[in-house]
Amino acid sequence: MPRLALARRIGWSPAVRPDEELIADALAGQTEAFSELSTRHRQRVQRLCQRFFSDQEIARDLAQEAFLKAFAALASYRAEMPFGAWLRAIVVNVCYDELRRRKRRPEELVGDFSEPELGWMQLVSTATPEELVGEAEERRESHDLAHRLLDTLKPEDRMVLVLKDSEELGVAEIAEMLGWSEAKVKIRAFRARQVLRKQAERMMNAGRARVVK
Amino acid sequence: MNCFEARQDFRSFWRKELAPERRAAFLAHLNECSKCDGAFRIFALTAPVFHSEAEPAEAEPSRSAATVRRMPASARREGRAYRETYRSSPWLSIAAVIALFITGASAAYFSVDTPTETLSEAIHQPTQTMELVSADFPEANIDLGQ
Repeated sequence: MPRLALARRIGWSPAVRPDEELIADALAGQTEAFSELSTRHRQRVQRLCQRFFSDQEIARDLAQEAFLKAFAALASYRAEMPFGAWLRAIVVNVCYDELRRRKRRPEELVGDFSEPELGWMQLVSTATPEELVGEAEERRESHDLAHRLLDTLKPEDRMVLVLKDSEELGVAEIAEMLGWSEAKVKIRAFRARQVLRKQAERMMNAGRARVVK
Repeated sequence: MNCFEARQDFRSFWRKELAPERRAAFLAHLNECSKCDGAFRIFALTAPVFHSEAEPAEAEPSRSAATVRRMPASARREGRAYRETYRSSPWLSIAAVIALFITGASAAYFSVDTPTETLSEAIHQPTQTMELVSADFPEANIDLGQ
């Protein structure tokens, strides 16, 4: 009887089993072990995909693709690195490929705001910091607008910012993951922030102009 | 709290991780420093993606998402299957360009009438202009040179 099934039968929660053990079982042919692994990491993977794409269906598709790639490459996994970090590198690559495939033009993205988006922009200009935090959690348009703003970045720049600001990775870790020099990571992050700030100001001005009209 | 410290705390404030007294100092600083307040508002534009744990439910969907949602489920599935099938296929674009070129070249070729005579026939056939000139030419003028 497979170990996972046995564990369930005797009432021992498989969630406490370390990733490495599940990987060994998956490599031995127990696909159940890999589905346990993917259940464990799904939420985090999907959240990371959502930092790149606003459409939840696309994020789900990409998360699925990342798990398939991870399964196919499982034999190449080495235990020196935590499984989560290894998986994150795969997810980032999948999202980066998708971003590059889409190749959006910045000028298409800033302008033409919906009413809820304009409302959110107005709130960003006038509300207190505490109100902003609370409202952002409730309003879907805060996410949509943030994605539109981030879509103006080059895929490489967006990737660096997601890893640095959102995943809170260090420059050395990012450099290792992407195979870049540390200087390149720093320069990319610096430039990305500059671009983002300019685009955000442009967006706010465009929003103000629409409100005045 | 100075500006550097305040900006270091943007992320923690957004994630509600600041201790109460630090939070109060942070808010007091933003209240009196317009530059940091402006920077925080710029930060707030991207923070929902970078620093939120989960996205809110799609109560107010974006226009593109709403358009997709209005489509029948079968169409959405087909569109998704299409995207999956043709994802990252540069050959498809190249094939489309070649097909377009062949279509254009064929259209140009067939739009011109095919000549009914061969090249040598066309060269050796006396032109009508020459005949007319020789027919109308007065005989007296022919003798001029003699």
